[in-house]
Amino acid sequence: MIVEERDELIDRAARALAALPPADPLAVMQIVSLARTRRGTRHPLAARFAGWMRTPSFSLASATMFAAATLVIGFVSGNAVERAASGSPASATRAVELMPAADVGAAARAVAVPMVLDARSATTVSVVGDFNNWDATATPMQRFGGDGPWTATVLAKPGRHVYAFMVDGVLTADPRAPKARDVDYGGEASVLMVTKP
Amino acid sequence: MNEIDPAIPLRARSGDEKAFIEIVEFYYPRCLRFARNMLGNDQDAEEAVQDAFTRVYDSFPRFREDARFDPWLFRILANRCRTSMARSRRHRQMIEYGELPLMAVAAAPEEEFGADWAEEVRVVLETLPPEQREAFLLRHVEDLSYEDIAAVTGAGLSALRMRVKRACDALRARLEKVER
Repeated sequence: MIVEERDELIDRAARALAALPPADPLAVMQIVSLARTRRGTRHPLAARFAGWMRTPSFSLASATMFAAATLVIGFVSGNAVERAASGSPASATRAVELMPAADVGAAARAVAVPMVLDARSATTVSVVGDFNNWDATATPMQRFGGDGPWTATVLAKPGRHVYAFMVDGVLTADPRAPKARDVDYGGEASVLMVTKP
Repeated sequence: MNEIDPAIPLRARSGDEKAFIEIVEFYYPRCLRFARNMLGNDQDAEEAVQDAFTRVYDSFPRFREDARFDPWLFRILANRCRTSMARSRRHRQMIEYGELPLMAVAAAPEEEFGADWAEEVRVVLETLPPEQREAFLLRHVEDLSYEDIAAVTGAGLSALRMRVKRACDALRARLEKVER
């Protein structure tokens, strides 16, 4: 029989570790935005095949089946993105939905990055950056919950990116990110470092 | 209040987005605390928490109506932390076999003491084997019952009690040295 010994020293240690970090509404919005986006881009069959790959019984035969299935999934999801683009996207996943089908292959290794900006008085906000050719119409942001922060998700390949927000027509740096020093278009911008998933 | 109203995960399960936001708001600080204590690194912890909630969102259809939400969430989070630790271990091995043995020049735990108590506890905590650290945190910091910890980790009750006891013994021995 193991007796659990919790004395004063262990109590103090546990209390020191129990301090809660403060609530972070912007982090919450980022998580929700990312969850929505990933669901929009992940095909359920891909998850099943990913599970196969992790099993010890993985073999050449299953690898061949996986390769074939990947081709099929790529074709199906490409069509799905194309269909989404022709609809009327109104969520934070718009950046993904706006991807042309032809770009799906090129973006396969891109990472979904949630963007959040607290600009309550703004009427239109979009994300611009080297990942969308600084096109102010490519990635419009949506108000979270009607009157909350602005959110959107961009797809960016691993590496260093420069971006900004277009707030009512004015280029604005992200207050939560490091400033870019190599801006050559006459406004402030921020740096985004994307790591491999 | 440590647990969320059980109706909220069920609402999220049936597709209610507001319920999912309530869950993230409610559990974010606790999840971040657990991941920071497990991983000892803010950036890895934030990534693990983000990943865990994304998986929760995707996996809601598999959440059983009669199940409790806390162990289910912490099981997913603990898995993400283990994956993150495995990734860091691989990265560390690459550094150790590379040109600069960065880990070798890091100060020994004893030399790092002198900061505040919480920092000292964290340094000692990091020296525990991951499964002992995980069991200790779930039991004494997250206040989960052994039955819930068994659901989170998949380990048996007596093995878990042994892990917690060993963690307490090791922490006590090292923290007593610090206090002297």
